[in-house]
Order: sequence, then structure tokens, then C-alpha cells
Amino acid sequence: MTVAAAAPVAPAAKEKSQGAIGLLLVMLPVLLVIWLVIWPIISAIVTTLWIPDAGGFTTKTYQFFFSDPYSLNNLGLTLWTTAVVAAILLLLCLPIALYLRFTEGGLGGYVQGLAIFPMFVPSIILSYAFIRVLGPNGMVDILLNAVHLPKIRTPYLTPWGSVIGLVWDNIPLTVLILASGLGNVSNAAVEAARDVGANRLQVLWSIILPKLTNTLLVALSFTVLNIFSSFTLPYVLGPAAPEMMGPFMQRSFRELNDPLSAVTQAVVAFAFCLVFGLFYVASVARNRPKP
Amino acid sequence: MATLELSDVTKQFGSTVAVDKVSLSVGDGELVCLLGPSGSGKSTVLRMIGGFATPTSGAVLIDGEDVTKVSPEKRPTGMVFQSHALWSHMSVFGNIAFGLKLRRLPKAEIAQKVEAVLELVGLGGLGKRQPNQLSGGQQQRVALARSLVLEPKILLLDEPFASLDQHLRERLREEVRDIQQRVGITTLFVTHGQDEALALADRIVVMRDGRVEQADPPDVVYRQPRTPFVAGFIGTMNLVDGEVRGGRITAGGMSVPAPIADGPATLAVRPEFLQLTRTDAADAPVAHRVIDYGTHLMVDIALPNGERLKAMAAPNDGFKAGMRLTLTPREIAIYRDGVVAHQAAIAADAAPAPVAAVHG
Amino acid sequence: MANPLPMPRRKTDVTGIAFSVVLTVVIIFPLLVVCTWAFANVWRFPNVIPQQFGLRYWHDTLVRVDVWNALWISIRLSVTVTLLSSAICLPAAYAFARLDFPFRNVLFFSFLAAHAFPKFGLLVAIAAIFLQLHLIGTFWGVVLIQLVGTLLFMIWIPVAAFQSVDRRMEEAARDVGARPLRVFWSITLPQAGPTIAAAVLLSFVGTFYETEGAWLIGAPRISTTPVLMISFINNQPVIQYGAVLSMILWIPSIVALIFARRVIGSGAFARGFGA
Repeated sequence: MTVAAAAPVAPAAKEKSQGAIGLLLVMLPVLLVIWLVIWPIISAIVTTLWIPDAGGFTTKTYQFFFSDPYSLNNLGLTLWTTAVVAAILLLLCLPIALYLRFTEGGLGGYVQGLAIFPMFVPSIILSYAFIRVLGPNGMVDILLNAVHLPKIRTPYLTPWGSVIGLVWDNIPLTVLILASGLGNVSNAAVEAARDVGANRLQVLWSIILPKLTNTLLVALSFTVLNIFSSFTLPYVLGPAAPEMMGPFMQRSFRELNDPLSAVTQAVVAFAFCLVFGLFYVASVARNRPKP
Repeated sequence: MATLELSDVTKQFGSTVAVDKVSLSVGDGELVCLLGPSGSGKSTVLRMIGGFATPTSGAVLIDGEDVTKVSPEKRPTGMVFQSHALWSHMSVFGNIAFGLKLRRLPKAEIAQKVEAVLELVGLGGLGKRQPNQLSGGQQQRVALARSLVLEPKILLLDEPFASLDQHLRERLREEVRDIQQRVGITTLFVTHGQDEALALADRIVVMRDGRVEQADPPDVVYRQPRTPFVAGFIGTMNLVDGEVRGGRITAGGMSVPAPIADGPATLAVRPEFLQLTRTDAADAPVAHRVIDYGTHLMVDIALPNGERLKAMAAPNDGFKAGMRLTLTPREIAIYRDGVVAHQAAIAADAAPAPVAAVHG
Repeated sequence: MANPLPMPRRKTDVTGIAFSVVLTVVIIFPLLVVCTWAFANVWRFPNVIPQQFGLRYWHDTLVRVDVWNALWISIRLSVTVTLLSSAICLPAAYAFARLDFPFRNVLFFSFLAAHAFPKFGLLVAIAAIFLQLHLIGTFWGVVLIQLVGTLLFMIWIPVAAFQSVDRRMEEAARDVGARPLRVFWSITLPQAGPTIAAAVLLSFVGTFYETEGAWLIGAPRISTTPVLMISFINNQPVIQYGAVLSMILWIPSIVALIFARRVIGSGAFARGFGA
């Protein structure tokens, strides 16, 4: 879309004053972003690499992190959780998105409403509900007891607790992103494939999935960025040790009063997510019509 | 009472010249159509009159006053946009009253004027509706009413019926013409449909590539097109390249008097003025296809050299595909170097010219 | 629009029913349990339903000082952040949408930067800086960190809203005699209004529920309602307090659901996240 000019008066002077006004109006939010996003990231990298007490430039903090079994366990848990959640999310949300795209029944609206609903449930309420259902003496235990089945081991305070909570929380956005991507798959393309004899599975594999690659990668990036450093759900539902990077950073910062370690962990998290972050920004830039 | 004058108006976008030294005079109460293909600059001219674009050079005068640099809200023009551009968050009444409210008229007067103009466009009593509750045709009428209620000096219409279906379009343009004549307002109408221009205009301005090719009343534009482009753009026209020698032009197997200098030229004949007679000559032009339109036949003729011409015939003339034909033009124009060099009607009793050797 | 992949012709939509059942159990059921707890005076294992229903714990929760403090702080924070965010972001959004100035595209995409990094990692980096500035544990420290979270929303969505206003409508207004400022007030703003209102509402609700920044920067002196909820989960043996607080905490979300649902369901929202 083109930018409309204001009233058609002497062009050159008007352009200049427009430019000045424009910059002025965007000044505040931009400064905020620079101060509270760009600067902290630079500062984090610098302060963990340049420590005056230890003689200037040093990778001491990172060496510590990567040699400390506790830290490495936490990192490992985080990587595992991220991978498992991403896999489950895609396996769960892709069929839902496909169903929503190609259904003609009335249930489609209901399913869509349900899929979007968790977006309106704050994470903290979700955590609480999780404990009430899957926790010790929770609803599941009650129901199993009522039909005289043995209790299952509760996933509460195990890595699977975090996984279940994180999957639940991320269903809506994943479904939305996938559904939006599926919107780009035209009916005509599918019809043409069926016309030459492809069955539904072949259509899915050869026509729909290739067109969805970009969307799948976007959904993946978004999920990874969200999960890698998530805090609330792992903190409440996950184990105390090993813990995910989020709770680990928080503990280092507040309870252990060790901001340097916390920032080191943050930079490690940045590094692991860098590729996904870049891809995400590039994808958004490419998909938006030029503002 | 309003006249419009465009004086050498030019509009450049970067290195593209959208409008190239266009001059035009529109008299009071006249309805002028700007007609041309996409990219001919007609909408740009309209927007410059309305104030939504500033000419790079040249002047726009309304009633003798130079309004070239005046902003749209201060100009005495009213524009009806192609997409009607009604304000969806206001009712029909609100849309029409908005301009009046800006002029600080008392409420009672506003209500009276709005009702009056709604009656004028045939939507009396629909003031309370929302724009999205109206049909396409009704929406355009509201857009028209919105402009008319302010009694502008010049009414500008930018392809207002482009998004409507054929029947509705024809009906609405009759109504717009009626209203325009009743109110007596000077109007400029942009369209790319030549039947619309022929039906509505007092004068048609044919534009191409930012320039005016011809500005004349419809019958003149149709009968005496000044350039091959105008000839081909309005109605159907057969254009055949040929050669003038010794006061006659020979083209496409036809030969007619041409009192101009020797040299190459283009012969132009409308299908309804190309008379057909059956012949047995083996190398004569042949009827390739005959389409029956009910009111007339359209005969698609293949010349021996491969060129195609179209000729109109009466429904009962009995022409069929495969017949050999002699072609006799009755009204012709000859073009040379992009301008008309000669126009004539050929007497009905003149003998058909012999089939001359066709040049390659 | 014809469906090119119709499900097999059966009387019942088996896939749909399967999804509906699974999703209902997974999504609705846990929340029903919380609801039941909130209205249970007595519920002891192994009863499937509470022994006694009642509103006792609603009363008990609503007299707690820490609950009222938390609610009050949450409201103050959300209102402050939303007002500040609107004040600095909406004019900027108009500039991005309509004016042309140097670096416009680069600056526009800079707001995406905050979302390209793992969120909590970024919060920790910011917290390290706040430590130096003595902003930890202060009201304004939490305001700032929550403000950053709203920036992308409050710029990108209003920009889309302003850009989608039909330019011809504005020209028509000028044609009937409205000056540029009047056009903005009478045409542009009402046309873009509903979407912008939805963005503002979502900002408010999002800030209300923001947990991580508030916990990292504010706790324990600034204890928002979600932070209080965490402490209920961890330290509170009486289950019903958490249940009641959950219900109270849910109210802004219901409001958002009612008023902003259309914006969220639209493709534009998902595209804003890069779909």
C-alpha cells in the first residue's frame, strides 16, 4: 500500500516537514525499544564478557556454565522440553488446522472456539487447574478411584508437567498460525490434484505440506522462542531439579543474588534461539505487505 | 453558472508523464465525458480538477478563477468516486448532512435539504438506513446526492457505474443524465466505456497516453474521427493500409477516389458502411464467418492477402460462410501520419470499383 | 465456496466429534473443576463432587487484605501501562501508517526485536540493568517492563487499522469541505476506532495477566494478582482460596473475550505474529 501524501501543496517543503513530524511522533516508542530491548541485550553480552575484577575480557562465566553439571542438566532439560512440546504441538495442531480448513459441518465452529479458548485463560489459572486435575488427589485420581482403578503417577512436579502445561497454553496460537497458512492453499490446487487421481493422503503429502513449509517453520520458531525461556508454567508445574532455564535464571537472579550467572544463562538462551529468532523476523518481514 | 477551463495542464510522476499539456474548455451546464483506455490520464485529469492532485504545470480555472493550487475542501467541486466511498459509520442522512454541518447550517435547513436531494435521486425516506443496507445502485445514488446537496459548481464523476451490472448501469446513467439536465450543473464524467460516453455526453474528449486525441460531440466523434486511434476506439472500424496514386486509394482490394497527394495512407470504413454483393470471381474476398445478432448480420471477411474485415448486413440478406463477395465502401475516412487526410461519402449509384490487384 | 476435500459422506462427522470430545475434555474439563472448587464449601477425597456447595470461600477470600492489595496494584499497573502505551504508541502508529520519513521501515520492524528473543532471557537482561538503576521492587520498574511488552501490539495493530481506512472516504470528506484535522476526527478515527479499541483492551488485559516481569522485577514488594496466585499455589494449603482467586482473575479475560474476539479471530492478528 502506498503512503498517501497530505494536502497537495508545494511538494518539497511538505515532504521535509512530514519527515520531521513523523520522526518526532515515533521518537518515544523507538527510544523505549532501544533502551529496554537493544541496550540490555548488548549490555548482557558485554558484562558477561568483560569483567573488570577478573582482568578484562574473559569467558569465565561461560566456561563455568558449560562445565557445571547442574547448569548443563538444566540446559538439557530445556532443550528436551522444547523439542517434545514442539513435536506434540505440531502433531496435535496440524490435524486440527486441517480439519478446520476442510470441514463443512457445523462442528467446525465449535472445534475452532475450543482451540482458541486457552488464549483467554491466563497461564496462572491454567497451572492451578492443572494441579487440581492431574495433581495428587486431583480430579483424575478421584475419577480413577471411583471406578476402582489404581492411581496413576501424577506428572505434577515432573518434566512432563511442564510439557503438558506448555502444550495446552500454546495450542491457540499454533492453530491460528497453521490455519492462516492453510488459507494460502487454494481450493483449486487441491481440486486439481484430486482431478488427476490423488487420494487424500497423497494430497496432504504432495500438495498441502510443501505449501505449508514456511508456515510450519514460523509456527516452530514461535513455539521455540516461547518455550525456551518460559517461566510460569515450568516454575509451578515442573521439577525443582533439574529445572528449565526460566526458573533457573530467576533463581540465580533473585534467590542466589547472582545476577552475573543469570545474565550468562540469558545469553546462552539467546544463542540457542538465535536462528529461530532471525528466521521469525525475516518471515514476518517477508509476509507483510510493505507498510 | 460555472465554466471550467484547463490550460496546458501537465502532470508528471517522476519520469512518467501521466497528463501531457491538456487543454479543455467546458461550458456552463455541459456534460463532458473523458473517454479513454486505462492509463490514458483521464482519472488524473479529473483528480486535478477536484484538487486531489496538483498539476506539474498549467492551470485549472473555474469561472475564470485560478484554483490550481487550492486544496480540495475549498474548491467548488463535488466528486462521486468509483467505489462510492460512503462513510460506513454514518447513516445515509449522516453522509449527506456532513458537508452541510461543516458549513454550519441550522438543523432544520439541513434536514430539509437532505430530504429534497434524496427525493431528487429517487431515495426519498431512506435517510435512516446504513450504507451497507443498500444495494450497489442505491449506494451510488447516495454518493451522488452527497455531492449535489452542496450545490457545487462542477460535478465530477469517476467511472461511477464501473462496479454495477449492465442493466443497472444503463438505467442509472439515464437517471444521472436527467438529474444533470434538470439541475443544469456543469459535469465531467470519466469512463472507459464508449457506449456510456456516446449515450450521455454533450461532448466526448477521447484521451490516449495523457493527450487529447479529439474533443467533439458524439456524432462528430463517431462519424468524423480525427485519428486512427479514435476511429478504432469508438465503435468498430475497419482499418486497411493502402496506397494513394493518381487521386485514388487502393487498399484491401477496394478502390475509391482520394483527392490527396500520392503516398501510403490508411483507409477506414465502418462495418455498417461496407456494402456487400455476391460475386463468382474466384480470387475475391470470402466470407469467413457470419454471426447473426438478431438485428443485423456481422460478416467476417477474409481478404486474399489474409487481412480480415467486418461488414454489417441486414438480417435477411442471406450471406453465408464461404460466399465470395465484392466490397463497396459507402462512407470512408483516409488517415495519413496519424491524422485524418480526407473524409467522404460515396454516392450510392457509383459503380463498384473493379477488383484491383492486391498489393502484398 | 465449494469444499474440495469433503469428508466421507456419513451421517455423522466422526473426525469432528472426535476432536470435539478430546478438546472438550482437555480444555473445558479442567476449568470446570476449578469452577467447582470455587463453589465448594467442603470437598474431601474421594468424593467425585463436593460434599457441600456454598459461597463461604468467596467471602473469606474477599476479606483478605493481600487479595485486595494485589487487585488494587494490578489495576493501577494495568491502567498506568495502558494509558502510557496509548499515549506514546498511537501517534507513532499514525506516523508509521500515513507519513513518510527516513528509516521508517527499519524503525517499524525494530518493535519486532523484543519478540525475536526468548522472553524471560530478555527480562533477566533488563532486570540486570534495573538492578543498577535501583528499579527492582518499585512500581515504576514494573510499569516499564510491562510497557515494553505492549509496544508491538499497540503499534502494529493500530498501524494496520489506520492503513485499512479507505483513502477514498477521506478524500470524499475533503471534497465536501472538511479540513485535514476534521477528516481525521470524523472519518479516520471512527473507521480505525474499533480495531484500535480492541488493541487497547487486549493491552490492558495482557498487562493484567503479565506474570514473569512482575515476578522478576516487582516481587515481593509489588505483588500483582498473578504473583499472589503463584504464592497461593505454592504456599496455601486451603485449596478454595486459589479457586476463588482464579475465578476473580478470570474476569478481565471474559471481558476481552466478548469485546475483542473478532480481532483475535481475524487473519490480521495471526499475520501480526508472522503467519
